[in-house]
Amino acid sequence: MLTILLGILEEGLVYGIMALGVYITYKILDFPDLSVDGTFPLGGAVTAILIVSGVNPVLTLVISFFAGAVAGVITGLIHVKLKVRDLLSGIIMMTALYSINLRIAGRANLSIFSKESIFENFVWDKLIPDFFSPYLVVSLLFFIIVIMKLLLDLYLKTRSGYLLRAVGDNEALVTSLAKDKGTVKILGLAIANALVALAGSIYAQMSGFFEISLGTGTIVIGLASVIIGTNIFKRFTYFKATTAVIIGAILYKACVSFAISLGMEASDLKLITATLFLVILIVSNERKRRVKGNA
Amino acid sequence: MKKLIMSALILTMAAGLLAGCANSKKEGQVTIGIGQFAEHGSLDNCREGFLAGLAEGGYVEGENLKVLFENAQADGGTAAQIADNFMAKKVDLIAAIATPMAQSAYSAAKKKDVPVIFTAVTDPVMAELAKEDKTPNGNITGTSDKLPVEKQLEMIRKVLPEAKTIGIMYSTSEVNSVSAIEEYKAVAPNYGFEIIESGISTAADIPLAADNLLEKVDCLNNLTDNTVVSSLPVILDKAQEKNIPVFGSEVEQVKLGCLATVGLDYFDLGVQTGKMAAQVLRGEKKASEINFEVIEEASFYGNNAVADQLGITLPEELVNSAKEMFDEISE
Repeated sequence: MLTILLGILEEGLVYGIMALGVYITYKILDFPDLSVDGTFPLGGAVTAILIVSGVNPVLTLVISFFAGAVAGVITGLIHVKLKVRDLLSGIIMMTALYSINLRIAGRANLSIFSKESIFENFVWDKLIPDFFSPYLVVSLLFFIIVIMKLLLDLYLKTRSGYLLRAVGDNEALVTSLAKDKGTVKILGLAIANALVALAGSIYAQMSGFFEISLGTGTIVIGLASVIIGTNIFKRFTYFKATTAVIIGAILYKACVSFAISLGMEASDLKLITATLFLVILIVSNERKRRVKGNA
Repeated sequence: MKKLIMSALILTMAAGLLAGCANSKKEGQVTIGIGQFAEHGSLDNCREGFLAGLAEGGYVEGENLKVLFENAQADGGTAAQIADNFMAKKVDLIAAIATPMAQSAYSAAKKKDVPVIFTAVTDPVMAELAKEDKTPNGNITGTSDKLPVEKQLEMIRKVLPEAKTIGIMYSTSEVNSVSAIEEYKAVAPNYGFEIIESGISTAADIPLAADNLLEKVDCLNNLTDNTVVSSLPVILDKAQEKNIPVFGSEVEQVKLGCLATVGLDYFDLGVQTGKMAAQVLRGEKKASEINFEVIEEASFYGNNAVADQLGITLPEELVNSAKEMFDEISE
């Protein structure tokens, strides 16, 4: 039981960091950004190759973060400067990243089992008592995700953060403030994809290898987490949206785990995901309609 | 405070969801989880061989052995989920078929020290599942399926004495294929061949790549590439139009219409792996004490129907040495 719960929390927290990124694009910028299917494994590829060449695992987190940001900027430039539709610019970037990731890692599957990672290194070996070691991963993830969440909350309260939110809600307002909405969009995509790549980096270190097929369906998990989180906690205003999104990711992983333990086959997983996704969307639409009807 | 209560409430909800599904277990029965990375002939044979090997070792499915089987359909995320799921169901051993599955299983199992037995992993050392001296890198061991590249080239030379170029199609995203291509390129000149490779990224690229490749080569040769092998009928159709022979990398491909192969018997590979697993389950040895084994014994398989179609006579010496000859093309 504890194993299952820890497993859900570990997966949920990693994907929670990714979901924070998707929250920025989907909810704040109103930009369905598919490039995350490429930036999640991008973080993994960068991390695996750097760790193999002996770079400090903590440093790989930072480098992955910036690699993701660069990818986000490119998606943004394609959309804003080349005037390609939002959905398509994401698809273009996602497709390009598949090859880029293969180039970065050198091959489709790179193991880092025997190397040190942020979860397994000589510092933890000395500091962490045995009884605590099963909880080390969850605690570290919790620590990282709380920091990321707080930083993001702080950022959204700055001037630049307000502009970001304004672009999604009311583009005309940004223009009337004499700000370039394109630049703001690019910035948002950069932050979002940086978070996604950071999650990819952590995921690779947690599982001990990079695999090219890991990115498939990242966007679906991200969107599901955002939608589950924000819809469930809509009424509880004392919950920040960022917190809701993280809990959404954990709940999503719990649902998947539940489906499997009910005897669903792993090959049906995508169907389960799609159904779950649809149900949540329908439920949230209904609620919206009801609110409108009452007004 | 409210936030805390709320979070606690949600966690309990999630826990409650999962509590209802505890695993029942019969006395004296062991449970193993078999995770297979993709679905195709050789890996399926591997799995059947594995169960046969376990039975030889005294573990019969349905009697004293409960088998959970999952297929990741070539998706890395699903493979990880399968491994976690096996751990949650408290299996006594995980059998992992193909490299990414073995890595996911190892990653999930190492915390709890559950043994992992892998098979069809071409390079366990590169995958960091074992060390250079073949000793395990943890509580994990198994069998490796290195392609008999030299024997295959020797066979192709005998069947097609005049041929100069061999075309090989492979997925750039499959590690096993990439290392096999390198070996082919290194060894081919010794047999007077030039290798023309064509990398693809999805099954959708195959028809175009095949047309292109068939313009340039005297014959085609397959690897154990999951994507390419799954689309074998497309390639065979196109090659047949041009009357170009296609060589397979294992017996299932010859049944489907490849001319011949010097291939591994994946059923035997599975049997050997199954025996290793039985040893571990009996508690005679831990997986961490058994070195991984490489299967290099390969046999000739040919398809007479395909040879007739192409107007090629397979050399008698090969036919006589064949482990099995097929007289029809199975659909």
